[in-house]
Parts: sequence; C-alpha cells; structure tokens
Amino acid sequence: MSRAVSRRRLTLATAAAALAAPALLPRASLGADTRIDFVHLWSGADHPVQKVIEAFNAKGTGVTVVSRQDGTTYETITQKAMSSIAAGRGPALMTTGWKLGDFARKTLGAQDFRQIYGADRTDALLGKFRPQVRPLASVGGVPIGLPWSMSTPVLYINQTLWMAAGLGPEAEPRTVEELYPMVRQLQERTGKQGLIYEVNEWLPQAFIQNAGGDVIDADGKPVMDSAAAVKGIEAFVQPRRENLWKPMTISEMIASFQAGAIGVMASSSARQSGVRQAASFDLRLLQMPGLAGHPRRMNSGGNFLAVYSKVKEQQEGAYKFMEFIASREGFELWLATGYLNVTLNDIPVRPGNEAAHAQMEAGLTSETIWPGARGLEALTVHIDWISKIVNGAVSVPDGLRGSREAVEKLTSA
Amino acid sequence: MRLAGRRLLRSPWLFAGPAVAASIVFVWLPMVSTLGLSFFDWSLLRQEATWRGLAHYRETLANSDFHLALSNTGLYLGVLLPLQVGVPLVLALALVRVRARAVGRVYRTALFAPSVLSFPVAAVVWLWLFNPTVGFLNTLLAAAGLPAQRWLSDPDLAIWSVIAVAFWKSFGLNLLIFLAALANLPKDVAEAARIDGAGPFRQAIDIDIPLVSPAIFFAVVTTIIVVLDEIVGAVDVLTEGGPYRTSSNLLYFLYERGFRHFQFGEAAAVAVLIAAIVALVTWAQFRFGERHVHYD
Repeated sequence: MSRAVSRRRLTLATAAAALAAPALLPRASLGADTRIDFVHLWSGADHPVQKVIEAFNAKGTGVTVVSRQDGTTYETITQKAMSSIAAGRGPALMTTGWKLGDFARKTLGAQDFRQIYGADRTDALLGKFRPQVRPLASVGGVPIGLPWSMSTPVLYINQTLWMAAGLGPEAEPRTVEELYPMVRQLQERTGKQGLIYEVNEWLPQAFIQNAGGDVIDADGKPVMDSAAAVKGIEAFVQPRRENLWKPMTISEMIASFQAGAIGVMASSSARQSGVRQAASFDLRLLQMPGLAGHPRRMNSGGNFLAVYSKVKEQQEGAYKFMEFIASREGFELWLATGYLNVTLNDIPVRPGNEAAHAQMEAGLTSETIWPGARGLEALTVHIDWISKIVNGAVSVPDGLRGSREAVEKLTSA
Repeated sequence: MRLAGRRLLRSPWLFAGPAVAASIVFVWLPMVSTLGLSFFDWSLLRQEATWRGLAHYRETLANSDFHLALSNTGLYLGVLLPLQVGVPLVLALALVRVRARAVGRVYRTALFAPSVLSFPVAAVVWLWLFNPTVGFLNTLLAAAGLPAQRWLSDPDLAIWSVIAVAFWKSFGLNLLIFLAALANLPKDVAEAARIDGAGPFRQAIDIDIPLVSPAIFFAVVTTIIVVLDEIVGAVDVLTEGGPYRTSSNLLYFLYERGFRHFQFGEAAAVAVLIAAIVALVTWAQFRFGERHVHYD
C-alpha cells in the first residue's frame, strides 16, 4: 500500500515539476530564444530584408527576429505601431522614414540609444557608419536610430529610347539645362513622353537646394519661398510648361516607365531593383543633374531603424540584430535593394548603383524633417502647393509663398 | 409562480443581452469616446490630454480643405445618387421584358459581377485602365484620334474618374434589387393595364415604378450610405484625395487627419461633424422621401 502511494506521489511530483519548469527556469537554459518583432514595409519572400533576417536567425545568437510587414508606406506601419506602443507592446525595431524623425522621437517614443545602450555601445554601433550619415538618425542631438536605408534622386534612362533618339550612349547631362534639350530630342524623335518627375516634397527639395535654397532652415523655419527656392522650382516645372512632362501619380509613373512609355524618369535610387526587374529595355542610371552656375546639393531619403520597445530583453535583442545589419555580411545582403552603402564596410558597388554611390560620395543633405506636432500635416500641405504649381493652378512664387504661410502656421502651432 | 414570472421577465434580456452588449461596446461606447476626444488633444501614447474645448470644431469649420471635401461629397452624392438609382431602374425595366431568359441571365451576371468586389480591389483594376500612357482608355482615345487624358492626375478629371469607378462597381446591386422587385409584382395588375391599352412605357411609369417604390426607397437609402462611406476606399487607392484634395471627400478628410497626420482630437471632431451631416441627410430621406413610397 505504501509503495503504491510513493509511486503515485513521485509521478505527480514529476509531472508538476515538468509543467512548472518553463516558469521557474531561465529561458536560455530551456533553449528559448528572445523573439523580437521587426516591423517594415517590404513584401515578398525574396526581398533582401527577408534574406537579412534569415541570415541573422541562422546564426543562433539566442535572438530570433520575426519579420512583420505591417503596410507598404511609412504612415501605415506607423499607424499600426501606435496601437502596439499604446498597449505597451511596441515593436522592438521599426523602419521609420527620415521625414518622420521628429514625430518618432517626440510622439512615438523612439528610444534614445545612449539611454538604453550606454554611450560606448552606441558609439561602437554608429561608428560602423560613415561619419556624414551618423547625425542623420539623430533628432535634436539625440541618436534614435540606425541610419540603415539611404537613397538619393537619380535619373533612370530608357537607354533603348535614348539611342533611338540619336543621343550619345554615354551622354551624361550634368545640369538640367543640358538635360531638357536631350529630352526634347528624345520626345520628338521617338514619339514617347520625354520626362517624368515625382510630384511630392522630396524631388522638389533637390531642385530647391541645387538653386541654393532650403525647404526648412536650420532653425526649423519654413523658407521655401526664398528667391533661390523659386528659381529651383521654376527649373523643376520648366519641362511641364514645354510639354515634355505630363504629371501623373507615382504608381502611374513607375508603371509607365517600366512599360517603356517614358524616356527619362527622376526618382529614388531605391526603386532600382524593382524597375530593373520589370523593365524590358536597357536601363542606365545617372546622377541627378544640378542647376548651371550653382553648387550641387543633393538630398537623401529612405529610413532609419528605431527601437520602440521598453523591455530590456527586446532592446538587447534589437542591438544584436543591428550589429549584424551593420556588418559586412548583413549590409551586403541589404544592398540588393538598391539602397546605398552607408557603412564603412568595403563592399563593391553593385552594378547599376554607381551613379547613386558617386552622388553619396560627393555628399548628401538629409531629407526634410517636418517639425512640430503638426509637422506631418505641414508636409501634406506643402505637397499640395507643389502639385498646384505643377498643374499651373498658381505661379511658382505664389505657390511657394502659399506653402510657406500654411506650413509656418502649422509648425508653430 | 413568482419565480416563473421573474424568469419570464429576465429571459428577453438574456436573449438580447449579447447583441445589446456588442452594440454598447462596439457602437455606443466608441461614439461617446469620440465625442469626448473631440474636445482634447491626445496622441494615444501619452497619459495626459490637453483640453481644447470647441477649438477643433472651429478650426475644422474654418479649414478650406474641409469645405472642399464637403462640396466634393455633395458632388459625389448629387451625381451618383441619380445614376445609381436611375440607370439600374431603367435597365431592370428593360431586362424584365427580355423574353429570352438566357440573354437576361447573361446580362444580369455581367452587370452584377463588379458589385462583389470591394472598392479597393475595384480601384486597383481601374488603376491600370486609367494609366495615362499604357492604359486601355487612352489606347481607345488614341485609336479614335483623340488626345490622351490624365484621368487621375488632372484636377478637373480626377473626381469624375472616381465617380465612374463608384458607379461601375455599385449599380449592379441596385439592378438586382429592382429586378427582384419587378419579378414579384402581381401579374394581374400588369395584365389589366395591357387590356386597357397601356403600352410598355406607360406601364413602366404608371404601374411598375409606383409598385416598386419601396425597393427604390431602399436603393436610395443604401446608395447614400455607399456614397458617403464606402467610396473612400476608391478615393484612397486611385487618387489619395488628389490632386491637391480635388477628389477628396469627408471621410477621406477624416482618415487623413487621424491616420496620416495623427491628430486624433481633430479627427474626432470631424467624425462628430460627419455624423451630424449623415443624421441630417437620413432625416431628410425619411421626411421627404418616404411619403412617395407606396406600401401594399
């Protein structure tokens, strides 16, 4: 009788210990990895972001990165992240558009790297990046991100149409004054639309800067209606007035260019891999032309990686992943996107990315960060005024003044 | 007996309880919260909220983009309501007279098919048709020797392009409703009219339309809901309210404030204003529209 009771007690005790073990023992001893969510906006099992995640997870560091594509725009993934952050379960890492930097720091609560990792570890991580890009992921001097994805405006040339128009196969217009006659020749000889520009805040920023102006000055004041800015935007809309450019939405622009219906497209270098895959013609990328008589001041774009989780384990997991991303192996995988090598790793420039790389080497400014609690609304208002200018609803000076007045009201609110 | 009486009093609440609870949690509580939020600035992520009183309402009512969204919504309604009720009604009156059943079935299926798509999906299909360089519509125009159009990026055309997509997608449902209503009309009334010498046109005007007036009223009410609410999916995919808000509507204005600009207090105020407008439109429908409905 007593032996039966002893065996029964032993069995019950063993079962209870097995059930309680996960709660009592350290996770590492059970082989359980720290899982961190990495929120981004790229889809497809073959996208380089998946390759980076898979390569990191294969290393068995004790951290497993879970890929979460929560949308296709920075605004969409930010919307969804807000709910998680409000519930206290913010993503460990999220790609955050440069233009959302102020919002990310002041509203979303992107973590100060020095606070969560200490100065030495922060410097060790950011020290893997080129000195000129390190400050770009800081807001108000606070480092809140890894400057991971950087792009710059470039010209995409449909080389098949270019050659059919009798233009030199290696011809490279260095200024818009050189570009526009070439585009006119292409349009006249091939019957295809010569040129297309993106109608947003980003490409016009390049024109404003190349003319010696700024969109927002160093003190956070909107200055997009200066004489220099007006000159830049006059150059921007000149092909529209000359019927070399029929404006369309960005998705229409990409589809039309890929279909071979447009000779020259000015857009982000980050689109390169997608455009190259879809285009059925020879593609050549050139540096974005500047304005004659003015020093070149091209802007950058893209996103940085910010940490939103307040859980120490998640923050440490994010640090390990960021170390891998900044390594030669991780960044080489990432460069398949068409983004630029902003690290100090000696990675050969990918074929097709030479123009963007050269533009980066010459120095890039940051993308405009829209300040204040209503900065994102100010961004939308500015794009609307640019669109009115492009469609001829207002003159360039009136449109830029309208933008400055509206943005001033919103950013000072 | 008393216990049985108490149980009998409680049982309706037990049956209705889950629905009432769901209605409170998912409808009434959010409405009250939204009303409350409209008086504050609150980012969702901070503990504290800043009292703004009626400032959000004043700012919204003074915002020129709001005025444009309101007038665009009026245009959407003014054009789509007669189109989405009138055209299906005329088609239904014609189709119900088609003797060859197979022909009628083919037309019904073809005309109804777009209704099963969601607005965003329908809009993605039309994105390709509207493409200014390689789209089918401009290819047709080129074949006819006409200039290509910027269907989605021309400020004068963008809103009409959204209207076209909304009409194409939605009128099939009303067509089906009218066909069903016409099929259920008493045959003796129509026969009496024919004996009296009424032709098809007179029969349609004096017999069919009055007798299907309940279905017409239903179509009007649901069409207004679709126009005020659901076409925002098409606006977002096709034009994002552009160029420069010329195709935006009230709901898209609300969406931008809340989910692009992250101004939740202001978005809540816009939601309250939209609710008031919808309530007014609904009241007007029943006050002035229902008197023309002929119920059996």
